Amino acid sequence: MARIIVVTSGKGGVGKTTSSAAIGLGLALKGHKVVLIDFDIGLRNLDLIMGCERRVVYDFVNVINGEATLNQALIKDKRVKSLSILPASQTRDKDALNKENVGKVLEELGEMYDFIVCDSPAGIEAGAMMALYYADEAIVTTNPEVSSVRDSDRILGMLASRSRRAELGLEPIKEHLLLTRYSPKRVAEGEMLSVEDVEDILSIPLLGVIPESQAVLKASNAGEPVILDTESDAGKAYQDVIERLLGETVEFRFLTVEKKSILSRLFGG
Amino acid sequence: MADASIEFKGSSFTLSVLHLRTSKLADIRADLVTKIAQAPDFFYLVPLVVNIEQLACSVDYQAVKTLIEEFNFTFVGFTGSVEKEQRKLIRELGFSFVNTAKVNTSQKVDATEENVATETKKIADTPQSHLYTDKVHRGQIRSGQQIYAKDQNLVVIGSVSAGAEVIADGNIHIYGSLRGRAIAGAKGHHKAQIYCQNLEAELVSINGNYWLSESMEQHWGVPVYIHLTDSELTSSKLI
Repeated sequence: MARIIVVTSGKGGVGKTTSSAAIGLGLALKGHKVVLIDFDIGLRNLDLIMGCERRVVYDFVNVINGEATLNQALIKDKRVKSLSILPASQTRDKDALNKENVGKVLEELGEMYDFIVCDSPAGIEAGAMMALYYADEAIVTTNPEVSSVRDSDRILGMLASRSRRAELGLEPIKEHLLLTRYSPKRVAEGEMLSVEDVEDILSIPLLGVIPESQAVLKASNAGEPVILDTESDAGKAYQDVIERLLGETVEFRFLTVEKKSILSRLFGG
Repeated sequence: MADASIEFKGSSFTLSVLHLRTSKLADIRADLVTKIAQAPDFFYLVPLVVNIEQLACSVDYQAVKTLIEEFNFTFVGFTGSVEKEQRKLIRELGFSFVNTAKVNTSQKVDATEENVATETKKIADTPQSHLYTDKVHRGQIRSGQQIYAKDQNLVVIGSVSAGAEVIADGNIHIYGSLRGRAIAGAKGHHKAQIYCQNLEAELVSINGNYWLSESMEQHWGVPVYIHLTDSELTSSKLI
């Protein structure tokens, strides 16, 4: 059975789609069969971040309505063979999905893939609930600021009460905390919540800390998930996330302010 | 008048009430003897209010007072929903007439003891705390979640997040941080208390008296319990 992972947050703009793309691609690079599903019906973004926006013919809603088969709608990634993307519909709205049909699609995908990564829309309405309903695991993407932490807390409550696992009384969804846009410098200056602060409030296991990085915007615009940028801090941090998702213990990096070397100070680097 | 030697204040007390179902003093005396024999120490010098609303005809008020004082009760006054004239008469005879709180006037006599002519009843601040059982919640209570322990104490093994709300008719115990709202004694219970291992609450309330965060500065971020003293919220350190 495939592991169904939802990337969620409550709040918008915290890095759900960036993280979904990086994690999906990272797992595929490790040789796993992965499908990325864009649940943000009406605000299709994942295809842009993945760089496959020109190859979208059929979408998730077409499959749900029986207008296309899964194989017609799935887009194979050009970089990694074992990765596919199921894009959202741009012309429909979130009511186009229903639990029963989403369940059927996920079941079918579950037989074809090892990981199903669901990119959730923001908010706590039907669309976000649909994305998390069938999840086995949740990656709660959070920025180190109070409103994002509050919204993540809300979503954690939903995961524990509104998911299929909760409704059937099964083992609860495994929760992971992914802290994005983290700036050790601003934490040191007291402008940003620290990792410890967020962990204390949410009290769920930490999966990764992605440092604030110019590389993320560049990668998004280029349609190349940032995990491919192996030189960047953000890319390295996402690679650590993949290791941890696969059960490895990896030390956390980029949590403290980097000390500049004497040379780079001299040359103003 | 800050340095006045006395001050009048209203307070609620728990008093025993004797409900009379007959005006025959001999019957009352006989039943009192039986009742008191069961627990003589319990009734000794107990302040007693006499409820006369179930009486079909009037009674010799002075004789009732003498009778109950004979049994070592401390007579407080009469009570019951009766005609204005009767109330006036009682006052003119030099007795006080005590008004019950609305909640208790509707209390009906226990059907199992219908043959007993007298009965003692307590006007407690309902509901009584020692009767409460515990509702136990394991795990964190997240923003947007609300938990209500109806007629129970609430025990939370975990933290209460900002934006979450815990409510109990009894006490609230939080084995974690309290960052959201906690409302104890929700149905009106002034002895209710709130315990937590770390106070960072948005609001705490006991029996309708509440504090917002700004009132908690004294014990912010430490383990405390919060209770009422003379209708004022008070926080005390747990350790």
